Amino acid sequence: MTVLDRRAPAVTGALSWLMSPKRLEGLRLQAFMVPIGIVFAVLFAIPLAQSLYFSVTDFNGYSMKVNFVGLENYRKIFTDPSMLAGLGFTLLFAIGTTVIVTVLAIPLAVLLNRRFFGRNVVRAVFFFPAIPSIAILGLVWAFILSPLGSGAINWLLDAVGGFGPVPWLSDGTLAQLSVIMVAVWSSTGWHAILYLAYLQSIPGDYYEAARVDGASARQAFFRITLPLLAPAVTVSSLLLMTGGLKVYDLPYTLTKGGPGYATFTITQSIIQSGIAQAKFGQASALAVVFMLVVGAIVALQLVLSRRLEGRLS
Amino acid sequence: MSLLRRSVATFAAATAVLAATAGCGSGSEGGSGGKTKLSFFSWENEQTMKPLIDAFEKQNPSIDIEFSTAPPVAEYISTLQTRLVSGTAADVFVIAAENKTNLVQGGFVKDLTGKPFLANMSKFNTEAWSVDGKAYGMSISSWSAGILYNKDVLAKAGVSEFPTKWDDFIALCQKLKAAGTTPYYEGATGLPLSVAALVGHENARQGGDVDAQIFAGQKKFGDLWTGPLTTYNQLFTSGVMTKDVVGLKGEQIVDEFVNGRVAMIAAGPWDVPTLRQKAPNMNLAFAGVPTPDGKPFWAGAASPGWAINAKTQHEKEAEAFLTYLGSKEAVTLFNKGTAAMTTTSDVTPVIDKVLEPNLKALKDGTFYLPQIAWPRVQDALNTEAVAQLQLMIQGQAKPEDVAAALDNRLKSS
Repeated sequence: MTVLDRRAPAVTGALSWLMSPKRLEGLRLQAFMVPIGIVFAVLFAIPLAQSLYFSVTDFNGYSMKVNFVGLENYRKIFTDPSMLAGLGFTLLFAIGTTVIVTVLAIPLAVLLNRRFFGRNVVRAVFFFPAIPSIAILGLVWAFILSPLGSGAINWLLDAVGGFGPVPWLSDGTLAQLSVIMVAVWSSTGWHAILYLAYLQSIPGDYYEAARVDGASARQAFFRITLPLLAPAVTVSSLLLMTGGLKVYDLPYTLTKGGPGYATFTITQSIIQSGIAQAKFGQASALAVVFMLVVGAIVALQLVLSRRLEGRLS
Repeated sequence: MSLLRRSVATFAAATAVLAATAGCGSGSEGGSGGKTKLSFFSWENEQTMKPLIDAFEKQNPSIDIEFSTAPPVAEYISTLQTRLVSGTAADVFVIAAENKTNLVQGGFVKDLTGKPFLANMSKFNTEAWSVDGKAYGMSISSWSAGILYNKDVLAKAGVSEFPTKWDDFIALCQKLKAAGTTPYYEGATGLPLSVAALVGHENARQGGDVDAQIFAGQKKFGDLWTGPLTTYNQLFTSGVMTKDVVGLKGEQIVDEFVNGRVAMIAAGPWDVPTLRQKAPNMNLAFAGVPTPDGKPFWAGAASPGWAINAKTQHEKEAEAFLTYLGSKEAVTLFNKGTAAMTTTSDVTPVIDKVLEPNLKALKDGTFYLPQIAWPRVQDALNTEAVAQLQLMIQGQAKPEDVAAALDNRLKSS
């Protein structure tokens, strides 16, 4: 018996395993992952690797003469007041809109879930602000919130109560509040519809049983509705938080980041450094730091949401 | 470097495919019917440039212009940047203040010094797009902006001649305010035009090359900016203007003016067509920004120029195109389509009568724009200047703080 003869059973076994219907089925299923793998690599992995690389260079987006600068770009972004201000407002915006929209959207969804005349029209009215581009909303709201007496809201305030013009967009604090207020206005209806979808999956028997047991509407809300909406809160707040952290168009169209750096955002800073100022290295460093911050916040939020879900259910 | 090269190559390939699909870029190996394809990337829109392109193609039947456009400024700059890095940039494109330094330092634009088509250009325009004495762009027009006022409103207040001294201007504003009229609006979401004019006046007073000295480390921004900013800040400390202007957009200010709610606004030639349309009977007049010594100054600059791609394979055709764009016929067409204040030697631009003082300022050289005067870091300095000015308007910063912030920004860039 030759060596090959002695190996033949093992080779045959390996071949038969490789060609087995189960293995082939597995390969076929895995083949479906190839397109998404390519998309992931092209749109995420490669740009991420590029950003990491550029963040330690002086690449300006024009010249291919790139020099390694170590952590200099990271030092610059942590000592730049405008970037720190951008980080501060971005966090304020993301947390503010997430909390306020969640607090408003759940009761709104409960109201929209009731039967009343014109319910569908009212639902459409609340959903409408989510349809137009946020940049267009920003331009329209810039006129509504005009700090002059002729601005729509100031004119109304004057007509109704004789109040003087309020500097909605020209005072730092009011400008921050105005940007958050417009974002809340545009998102609350959409998130209420999301909650509405979850509400409609709650069996009516639960409420009937609660009513028979003598539970008040308040008790039914806190003991039945809210616990069963916990997964929706996770989804909604995650969407709000991630959307809020990458906000750019609304503050830019409303205030261009001002007054001063009051409504300046991280995304605006990344775009400005990378494109307008040709500092791709610095913009990449900021993007890397931003990605880490977003990752940490979202992970923390998921952990907290799951704990909350566990406690409520 | 290998990662960079690989990624740029991948990116270039992708962009080339996109560019080919879109029918733009430098894929000018030869057009249909044996014509040479010359690509042209502009920030003027197609409506503005089409008459010129059609006329050029008619005169040069062997050249086919492939036109593409992106709106100014950020979108144009980023699109051009992407195309340059991927090697698919057009043969002729626009050079602007925001990308001049990068285009020249990166070797992306041809030296046009001494080319015959620059002979008709204004010296100021050519210098605006020059670096170290070498010309890189051809610019055929300029703009200047100042204070636009409603003559009837001022006449009612007993003013027949617009003040030239800053103190008189403040006095006029206070007089109008006392009579119940909002005297003056000037937006501050960008660098205010009056600040540009006042700084320009101070620059001229100090010899005209202070910016160069600042960038050479011989002077500080405070030497040039603190005085004009103190002057400008009087608009707020005297109560003539409120801090509301920080949140006002240009269109809102024009709207206030059209509706007669304000007597004077800071404006440029771009506002005139809208005003003529919305208020055809308004008795308008332009004036330079009053200055402390009574010599009015204007905000203004050369319009962006046209440059030739250093890697073009059609240099001869590109030069022919620039020769046409600078010709009497093309400049006349451009002026007709845009009402621009063209500055070439052989064409007298047809402009709205109200813009005559603006044109005179261009001829006199009494105009300035910091972003053009700064040799580099223009966008970072502009962003910082606007943010700090807004703080100053709100009373949270002093003029010297604004200047110091500019010094810090220049140092850290």
